[in-house]
Amino acid sequence: MFWGKTRNIVVALEVGSTKVAAAVGEIRPDGTLALLGIGEGSSGQVRKCEIVDFEVAQGCIRDALAEAERKTDVVVAEVYLTITGAHIRSSNTRVTTVINHDGDEITQEHLQELHDMATAQPLPADHAIVHHLLQHYVLDDGSTTDNPVGLASKQLTAHFHQVYGLATRLQTTIRCVKELSIDVKNYALSSYATAQAVLSRNQKQLGAIVINLGGGVSDYIAYQKGAVVHTGILGVGGDHLTNDIVSGLKIPYAKAEQLKKTEGSVILNPAEKDDRITLPGAYNFEERQIYRESLNTIMQARQAEIFEIILEDLQNASFWPDFAGTVYVTGGASQVNGLLELASQIFPCPVELAHQFPFDGDQNYGRRPDLSTLLGLLHYARQAELEVPATRGFARVGQSLRRALASMRLI
Amino acid sequence: MIEFKKDGPFSEKADQLFPDRVRIIGLGQTGVAACDQMVMHGRPSQDIWVFDSDQQTIESSVVPNRHLLGRDLVHGLGCAGDMDLAREIVALEESQLVNVVEGCDFLILILGLAGSTGVALAEHLIQLGRKTGAKVIVAGVQPFAFEGWARREKSIQATASLRQEADSVLVLSQDRIVENPAASKNVRLGFHLMHQLLAQTAQALAQIVCKRGLIQLSFADVRSLYGRYIGSEVLENCWVAHVEGDIHDSTEDLIQQLLACPMLSDESIWKHVDHAIVAVNGTRNLGLSDVQEMVGALKDHIPVNIPIATSASLDEESHDKVRMTVLLAMTTPALEPLVEEVPDKQHSPKSVKPIAKTTALPEVEARLEPPMTDKSKPTRSLPAPRKSKPAPAVVENHAMAETDPLPVPEVEIPRSTSVTTQPGQRFIAKQEEMQFEGPTRGRFEKTHETMYRGENLDQPTFRRRRLTIRL
Repeated sequence: MFWGKTRNIVVALEVGSTKVAAAVGEIRPDGTLALLGIGEGSSGQVRKCEIVDFEVAQGCIRDALAEAERKTDVVVAEVYLTITGAHIRSSNTRVTTVINHDGDEITQEHLQELHDMATAQPLPADHAIVHHLLQHYVLDDGSTTDNPVGLASKQLTAHFHQVYGLATRLQTTIRCVKELSIDVKNYALSSYATAQAVLSRNQKQLGAIVINLGGGVSDYIAYQKGAVVHTGILGVGGDHLTNDIVSGLKIPYAKAEQLKKTEGSVILNPAEKDDRITLPGAYNFEERQIYRESLNTIMQARQAEIFEIILEDLQNASFWPDFAGTVYVTGGASQVNGLLELASQIFPCPVELAHQFPFDGDQNYGRRPDLSTLLGLLHYARQAELEVPATRGFARVGQSLRRALASMRLI
Repeated sequence: MIEFKKDGPFSEKADQLFPDRVRIIGLGQTGVAACDQMVMHGRPSQDIWVFDSDQQTIESSVVPNRHLLGRDLVHGLGCAGDMDLAREIVALEESQLVNVVEGCDFLILILGLAGSTGVALAEHLIQLGRKTGAKVIVAGVQPFAFEGWARREKSIQATASLRQEADSVLVLSQDRIVENPAASKNVRLGFHLMHQLLAQTAQALAQIVCKRGLIQLSFADVRSLYGRYIGSEVLENCWVAHVEGDIHDSTEDLIQQLLACPMLSDESIWKHVDHAIVAVNGTRNLGLSDVQEMVGALKDHIPVNIPIATSASLDEESHDKVRMTVLLAMTTPALEPLVEEVPDKQHSPKSVKPIAKTTALPEVEARLEPPMTDKSKPTRSLPAPRKSKPAPAVVENHAMAETDPLPVPEVEIPRSTSVTTQPGQRFIAKQEEMQFEGPTRGRFEKTHETMYRGENLDQPTFRRRRLTIRL
C-alpha cells in the first residue's frame, strides 16, 4: 500500500568536476541516519563544477543514480543537490524590525517577518538566492541570541549570511537532474554541506574554517560562534594541479593525474633535487624520466597559490581578527602529499585534516575525503527532513503516489 | 577670387583613388621609441599605432594611438623578456587586436627582435593580417652583441618565426652603430640613433608601398628583397641610411652625408649588399631631374655596382626639404659573418666562432669573393631562393642578367651570423616550432576564465610566477 509504512529515504547528489556521486541514506525513526550506499561515476564535460555539455553531464548523472539504485535497491525519485561554482557569491546582511506587540514580546511572526525582509533584499542582476543562513538575533540592548521568541525587546535585528549565484547557472544544474524525472527536493551550497559532515556543534561554536579542495573548485566556509560568517568559492581545484603538470612536463592528462596522486608532493625537498621519476611507456607513450623537483615545484606553486588566495579572502572578512579556531581541510584534492604541511606554513592558525562523522550502515565510504560533501549533504537532508512536519492523511497518500509514479518514470 | 585646384598626387581625387591604407605599428619598447621619432620628426598624416605592456613606455609615448596591453596580467610592468607571458597577454587582448588590422592594406611592424611583447604581438598581428588580406612588413632590430647570448638566441628565434609568416622581414643590427662616435660615447644616443633609423626605414617603406608618387615602386619590390629568407640562416639583411637637407643644397653634400650614416660606416657591408632601394621625398619643387641626379651621385659614390630601385614622392608638408632614405638589401646569404660575435664564456665559447673561416672552402671563396677595390658588381654566392616567394625585382635588367649565370658550387652553406655550429658540422637552418596561437588553457578551454587580481588562474602558476621547470 502506498500509504503504508514507508522508509524515509534521502538521496544526496553531487555533480562535481571529477565525479558524479549519489548517496542514498535512510532516516530511521529515532532520527539517526544510515548510509545505504553510494553510486558514483566519472563526470564528463563538467568543468569547475559547471556543466559544459548538458547531455554528457546528464548521462553521467543518470549512470551514478542508476548505480546507487542498483546498490541500495531504492528507487530514486527525489534528490538533494549540492550547488557550487565560481559564480556563487556571499555577503552578510542584517534586517531590523520594531516590536509592536503587547509587552514587546518577540513572537514567531517577528522572526518570519525578518526572514521575509531578508529574502526581499535586492540581489545583483540575474542572481538568485541559494541560502539565507541565520547567524543570530540582536536585541535592543545589544545582546545576541539564537532564539529570541518570548524575549522582550523594542526592536529586533537579524543577521544573515546570504549566498547567491547566477540564476542561469543554478538552473542548468537543477534542470539537468529534473529532466531525468528526478525531483530536486532542495539544494545546499557545497561548502555548507561539507561542514555538516565534518564539524560538530562545538567546533562551530569555537570557530572553524572548512576548506573543501575539490577537483574543479576549492570552496570554504567559516564558522564563528556557531554561525556561518563567511563562504567563498575559488574556481581553482585539483584539476588545475593536473593541468599544470600536463603543461609543465608535457605529458598526457591521464599520466599527469596518476603522477600527481602517486608521486607528487606540494612540499619541496632539497634532498630530492636530482631525483628522477620514470614514467612507464605505453603503446602511444614513450618511457621517459622527469625530475621530481619539477613535479613538486609545479604542484607546490599551484597549491600554495590556492591557499594564499583563500587566506587573503579570509583575512579581508570582518570575522578574521576575532577568529581563534582551526582550519580543517578536506576534499579529493586534499589527499595530495604534503598538503597539511603546506597549509600549516601558510595559515596562521592550526590546520587539521577534517574527519567525517561516522555513519550507521555502509562504512566503506566514511574515510574518503572526496565524499565529505556528499555525506554532508545527507546530514543536511536529514536535518531538513526532521524539521519538516511529517505528512499525514491525503498529503501522505499524494506523496506515496508521487513516489510510485516516479519509480515508474511517469513523472 | 581665383581658386586653385590641387591636382596630381596632392589632389583629393588621388586620395580617393589611392587611399593611404598603410598602418605603421610600433611594438614593444623599441617600436614605441621608433614611432615616437616618426611623430616628432616625420609626417603627421601617417597612421601610427603603438603597443606595449610597459605602462611607463606607453605613457611617455607621444603617439596618439597608444595602447597598453595586459594591464590585468602584468599591471603595466612589462614582460621582462618572458615570451610565454607575452603570449598570454596577446591571448588576453585578442579581441581588441582584431581592430588593429581592420581597414589596412599594409602593416609595417617595428620592433626589437629580442623583446617579448613586440615579438609575440607581431606574430599575432601577422596572423590577423593574413586573415584580412593585409600585407605585413616587419622591420626588426637585433640586439647588441654585448647584450648577451640569451637575447641573441631570442632574436634569432624571433627572426625565424617572423620570417615564417610575414611577407617581408627587414632585420637591422644594432651593432652597426657601435662604432659611431656619438653612440660610443653615450649609450642613450646610440639607441636614439637606432630608433631614428627604424623610423626612417618605416617611413621609406610606407612611401614605397603607398601608390602615389613621381616614381613608383610597389610592395612587390620590397618583398622581392626582404621576403626571401625562411628561418634564421641569415639574420641581418638590411642596412639603412637617411639624409635630410634643403632642396637647394648640393647633391654631392647630401650623398656624402648619406654615406656618413652610422650603418654604412663599416665598409665590409658592401661585400654583402646586392640590391638597394632609394626613397626620395621632397616638396613640390622636387623634379625628376633632381631625383635622377641624386641617384646618379649615389651610384657614383657607393663602392659596388648594384641595382638601385628608386621611389620618389612629393610631400606638401616638406617645406623645401628633401629626404633620401636608402635601404640596402642582401638577398643571398654571405659566406662571411656580417657581425663579429662576442664570445660568451658561459655558453660554449666554441660555438660562437665564425664558421665561415673554419669551413674548408678556399677555392670557392677565391672564386666568389672579388677584392673590395674591384668596383665591378658583387658576386652572388649561393642563391637560395624561397620557393613560395618571388625572385628579386628586376629593377635594372642589365645588372640582373650579369648576376644570374654564376655557377653554384655544391658546398654547405655556412650561416652568416650567430652560428653555433661546430667546424665541419653540416649547417642546418634553425626552424623551431613556434607557438602562434595564444597559450591554451588546456582542460579549462571551454570554461569561464578564473581571474584574480588580473591574473588568469587557469594558466599554470609556475608559468605566471616564472618558475624554472627542468625537463
